[in-house]
Amino acid sequence: MTFAPTRPIGPARNRFLGAVYARNSSAVMSRGMLATRSSNAAIVVSGFFEPVFYLLSMGIGLGALVGTVVTTTGQEVSYAAFIAPALLAVSAMNGAIYDSTWNVFFKMNYAKLYEGMLTTSLGPLDVALGEIGLALLRGVLYALGFLIIMQSLGLNLSWTAILALPAVVLIAFGFASLGMAVTSYLTTFQQMDWINFVMLPMFLFSATFYPLSVYPEPIQWVVQALPLWHGVELIRGLTTGALSVALLGHVLYYVVMIAIGLVFTTSRLKKLFLD
Amino acid sequence: MSGREVLSDAAWRERVLAGGVRPRRYGSWYVAEHRIRSMRSYGQTILATSIGNPLIYLFALGIGLATLVDANLGDDAVQGVSYLVFVAPALLGLAAVMVSAEEFTYPIMLGFKWNPIFFGMNAAPITGGQITNGILISVLARMVPTCVIYFIAMVLFGAVPSAVGILMIPIAVLTAMSVGLAIMAYTARIEQDKGQMALIMRFGITPMLLFSGTFFPLSQLPVYLQWIGWISPLWHGTELGRVISYSLAEPAWLTAVHVLYPAAIIVVCWRTSQRVFTARLNK
Repeated sequence: MTFAPTRPIGPARNRFLGAVYARNSSAVMSRGMLATRSSNAAIVVSGFFEPVFYLLSMGIGLGALVGTVVTTTGQEVSYAAFIAPALLAVSAMNGAIYDSTWNVFFKMNYAKLYEGMLTTSLGPLDVALGEIGLALLRGVLYALGFLIIMQSLGLNLSWTAILALPAVVLIAFGFASLGMAVTSYLTTFQQMDWINFVMLPMFLFSATFYPLSVYPEPIQWVVQALPLWHGVELIRGLTTGALSVALLGHVLYYVVMIAIGLVFTTSRLKKLFLD
Repeated sequence: MSGREVLSDAAWRERVLAGGVRPRRYGSWYVAEHRIRSMRSYGQTILATSIGNPLIYLFALGIGLATLVDANLGDDAVQGVSYLVFVAPALLGLAAVMVSAEEFTYPIMLGFKWNPIFFGMNAAPITGGQITNGILISVLARMVPTCVIYFIAMVLFGAVPSAVGILMIPIAVLTAMSVGLAIMAYTARIEQDKGQMALIMRFGITPMLLFSGTFFPLSQLPVYLQWIGWISPLWHGTELGRVISYSLAEPAWLTAVHVLYPAAIIVVCWRTSQRVFTARLNK
């Protein structure tokens, strides 16, 4: 019996990004799916219900107190139709952050999973993309379910709502890649609480439950600098059908965020495990 | 063998029993002291969240969301008061419940399983019942100051119209303790971590937060969702808080239920927790 590498090793090193990427992030993804099936399937399924509970409670109960709301583009919509896209963006953010912080932190520091992976031909970019890919897959499934519920409640006001699906992927990708980069700097569980401490105000203030216009102007600027606001506006534009050039700006924000996050994560993983 | 006393068996027995007298009497306080000291490791987060969260919630809901509600329904938007005054008792109860949810889930599991310090305590002459009591005392020591800080923030925001509103603090503690003890009666039994804690949050705490008349009167919900509020200690606590804070009109028997229901849960789940602790530690 002879052992021959299935892929030539030499040229791979010379390829673009060859030192950090073995074009095999799907191996990391499929490992993650296997692990999900055997351990925490119930938790994964339960994650879908959270935004649904919020929609039922806030949309029905609070909607009666609030009446209608005027969106950024001047459209007057029911309160449920106003918060539903925001909840979708928030759940994309929460899922991505949870997967890229708690989950990654545990695998990195306790399960020592990445050390094992990186002793194979897998590079840090494979690991990063694989973990993020897994989070995105989950995010898309949640989003699909939520969009179906929105449709049945009559909260999708335009056919462009279907484009919310790729938008969710974009948002989740942005948060996941940045979240993983931040996690690689953390050393204890307690530091993770600070992530929640940043997420809570972002969740409440990003035009999720009421329009930005209730704030004084300086606060509006701060909110508009935060990533979640761009996500909420992007998805709200798509589900209400208010298309504008501004949507492209929101997309660009996330593209830049993804690029920064990936560069950071890859170089951190390389420094932690390979140098 | 110099320096070693020669004692009769009876004298040894007496000395050993004497050594156990103080732990037997003050065991609960020893346990509480240990847990309060261990909270120091996350003291910074406790401090930041107990000051930060009230400000964030009061600002987001009491100022932000209130703008919409009051614009739609006028200044006496909900139950004859402004939205901020309406939502404040619920936020206080919620803050206390969040402390409960944090302290009675993973830390209980930790003490039995990952860092089984309860077994260590039990090996000293401290009983399961005392360990349960010690945990209670330590959680109170964190919860009461959190509620006081929250209450002060509420007063500064102008969310408490009446002076007796200060009674909202013990009400919030009563509510949160009933939730926390119910959680502990369950978590003390868990032997294998299969994500039960995440499920408690998702199917227990979150729906309780959303369907307990917290952000809007329970009557706004369709009847088939209202039962969630009726069985939720948070709804009872919040309603009681509203009666105290702005004299929400309701029949006297209902007010009595708001006190008796959480109190009954506390008594039953406290006894249950003590039993479960004792049985598991002496298995």
